[in-house]
Amino acid sequence: MNGAHDLRGMHGLGPINPEPEGEEPVFHATWEKRVFGLRLAAAFLGRWNLDRSRHATECQHPVDYLRQTYYENWLVGLEKLLVETGLVTAEELATGKATGSTDEATRQRVLKAEHVSTVLAKGTPVTMASDTTPRFQPGDRVRAINRHPLGHTREPRYVRGHVGVIHAYHGAHVFPDRNAEGSKEGQHLYSVRFEAAALWGENASEGSAVYVDLWEDYLESAG
Amino acid sequence: MKEFGTELGADIEIRVWDSTSEVRFLVLPERPAGTEGWSEEELAALVTRNAMIGAETAKSPKDIRRT
Repeated sequence: MNGAHDLRGMHGLGPINPEPEGEEPVFHATWEKRVFGLRLAAAFLGRWNLDRSRHATECQHPVDYLRQTYYENWLVGLEKLLVETGLVTAEELATGKATGSTDEATRQRVLKAEHVSTVLAKGTPVTMASDTTPRFQPGDRVRAINRHPLGHTREPRYVRGHVGVIHAYHGAHVFPDRNAEGSKEGQHLYSVRFEAAALWGENASEGSAVYVDLWEDYLESAG
Repeated sequence: MKEFGTELGADIEIRVWDSTSEVRFLVLPERPAGTEGWSEEELAALVTRNAMIGAETAKSPKDIRRT
């Protein structure tokens, strides 16, 4: 979906004003730490994957998405996922009180504090097998397909319709657009180089380029 | 990059890496001139957060006092 999360190329957000390196906290409030932990832990219940959770966060009114802080958006996404998957009812969310009991299968999956570092270190690989041959090779000219799906996508708006060159092949990775819908499909992933002038016209910085990772479904041959 | 105070010569090509997939990139800051023979610890003192996100170059020897 064309949501407010895809800010690339947007003007008017003001100057980049990073906090000084020595004074930058990991979290700016205790509740942020809690939301971060809750969302990570809830993900290990196995009811949703990374792409579905991203989509839940992104599917908001643009005004809400932009007004809220980063972890407020994480919380909105988490609440949506909890209700959608039936882990929590809307009433429980509103009152903060559990009205039913959790089934045994879910209880078994609860992430214990002592397992967190092991589980995180293990990671969740996204590389997959594919039985098709990659359609493109490094050096091939490709166009990012001009498509505006209502569902989840990782094809940024600013590359759509533009021509670039395959820089590298990353192997087959799970395809986010289908993964967000619960269908795990391995698809060839490429790093594509776009000349900055092709994307930003006369406003581009001279002699610069943008490299974007794009799945095969986002690309067509540009001869 | 200018907002980070970084000005590069016209002969330097700027490559922006948009991380749209789960492939992650590690920025290796360019080793500043005049650091031959420096220890790992001394070199690390030249590396800043902004250098690690590719928004500025590592500090040069004249920016820090060697111990």
